[in-house]
Formats: sequence, C-alpha cells, structure tokens
Amino acid sequence: MQGNKNVIEGLNTLLGYELAAMDQYFVHSQMYIDWGLNKLYERINHEFDDEKGHATKLIERMLFLGGEPDMQTRVGYKVGKTVPEMLQSDLRVEYEVADKLRVVIAMCESEKDFVSRDMLMILLDDTEMDHAHWLEQQLGLIEMLGLSNYLQSQM
Amino acid sequence: MKGKPEIIKVLNEVLTTELTSINQYFLHARMYKNWGFEVLNEKCFKKSIKDMKQADDVITRILFLEGLPNLQMLGKINIGEDPQEMLKCDTEFQLKQIPQLKQAIVLCEQHMDFVSRDLLAGILDYEEDYYDWQDTQAYQLEQLGVQNYLQAQVEED
Repeated sequence: MQGNKNVIEGLNTLLGYELAAMDQYFVHSQMYIDWGLNKLYERINHEFDDEKGHATKLIERMLFLGGEPDMQTRVGYKVGKTVPEMLQSDLRVEYEVADKLRVVIAMCESEKDFVSRDMLMILLDDTEMDHAHWLEQQLGLIEMLGLSNYLQSQM
Repeated sequence: MKGKPEIIKVLNEVLTTELTSINQYFLHARMYKNWGFEVLNEKCFKKSIKDMKQADDVITRILFLEGLPNLQMLGKINIGEDPQEMLKCDTEFQLKQIPQLKQAIVLCEQHMDFVSRDLLAGILDYEEDYYDWQDTQAYQLEQLGVQNYLQAQVEED
C-alpha cells in the first residue's frame, strides 16, 4: 500500500534515532560487562533488544508503505566514558527520541495515518515510562546513594 | 444495636486517623517507588492497604452501633521531601495515633463495650509493630549512614 510521503519521511527520521540508540546501548552494554557491572549489562542489553524491536517496527511499516528505510543515518549518538556519563547520554537520547516521536505522531494524525500513529504510541510509551524513567531513577540513585554504593549495587 | 454516643464519637476519631494514614502512607509509598526504593515502597504500600482494612472494620462497627461513620474528615497529611524526612513524618504520625488508640480503649473499657475495645486493641497491636519497624529504620539510618541505608532499600527488577 502506497503511504504518504511525509509519513515515510517521518518514520525514516525516527529510524535514525532508534538505530543510534540501539548502537549506543550495544556498546554501553559491552562496556558494563567489561567493567564487571553485570546488572547494568543485563538492563542495558535488554534496552538494546527493545530498541532493535522499535527499529524493526519502523522498518516493517515503511516497507509496507512502499518506502525505503534509511539504515545509514545515526542521530544523536554519543558514547560516555564513565557510568554517570553513559546513563546521562542514554537519557538524552531517550528525551530526543520522545520529542521526535511526538512530532511524528502529530503529523500522522494530520495525515490520517492512524495505524502508523498507533504503532508510534507504543514506542512513545516504552520510551517515556520504561527507558527514560529508569534512567532518571538511576541518576537519582547515584545522587542519593553516592557513586560507589550505586556501582556496588550493579555488580 | 444501639451504641453509646461517646463510643461512636471516639470510633469516628479513630476512623479519621485511619483515613489520614491511608493517604499519607500511600503517597509516600509511590514516592519511594518513583525513586527506585522498592523495599520502602512495599512496606508503605502494605501499611496503606492495612489502614484501609482497619478503616473498614471501624466503619462496620460504627454502623452496627447505629452511628454515622464520618468519611468526610481528614487530618493533616505530612509529606517529606526525601526518604529521611518521610520516615520522620511517618514516625510522628504513629506517635500520635498510638496514644489516641489507648485513650479510646480506656473509654471502651469504662463503658463496658468490650467488642469495640477488642477491635481497637487489634489495631493498636499492629500500629505498635509498625512503630517498632520505624524505630529500627531510624537506628539503621544512624548506624549505616544515609547512603548505605538507602542502598539497602533498592531492589533489582
């Protein structure tokens, strides 16, 4: 089914963010395991899977709409050097993704592509309630427990 | 069965405290949860639910005594801004509720309403236990330091 051009473009923009998030979680998860922070590895590896799932949904939808998924572009990718930096950078990506998702959701509504809109809502819910909230919690815990205690809890 | 007005009045006062308690503990529970302190969330959430069950028992008793349960009244809710303050607010709450229950029990004894007395004694037992837990937390906070204490309140997913 031929989709609306603007919608396909919007979905491609989002794909750029999801791919960046995926790559970033991938390398961060490996850094955590390298440092022996196994609990952080578990969680971030799961986020990596989630982002891959999000990218899959976007690609599927674009192909169905007769579009061409852009696998080249990465938006907002930044690897941290320390645990707080990494969490902070992941949170920044989640905030950016959420902002972008809202814009594209509004656009789907105005283009009357309600099925794409529905799919993006699931992504937004995951982004806000699962990913961003968890990252905010970790940064809050680092403040309240101190970094050493926090890291000790992540081994 | 017609109850004595003094008893109905004191049961309503106990009810007001329970209704207040439900709200204070419930909000504290969810604040802990939002920060990732699952252990504290669990404890306060259970307390809030238990308070609701106690309120239920008191309401049932007031109705049986042909009184009117007052669900309109709510006492002052004290909400802390960090876990330490929250524990402190909750402890102060218990320290007000326990004497209130004791006085109500004395009044029931005087009026020979032994069934209401028994109900209140059950509540008092639970509230004292809860205070005991709070006392333990204060001790641990002091002995471990805030950061170590809080670390122990985080539970993995």
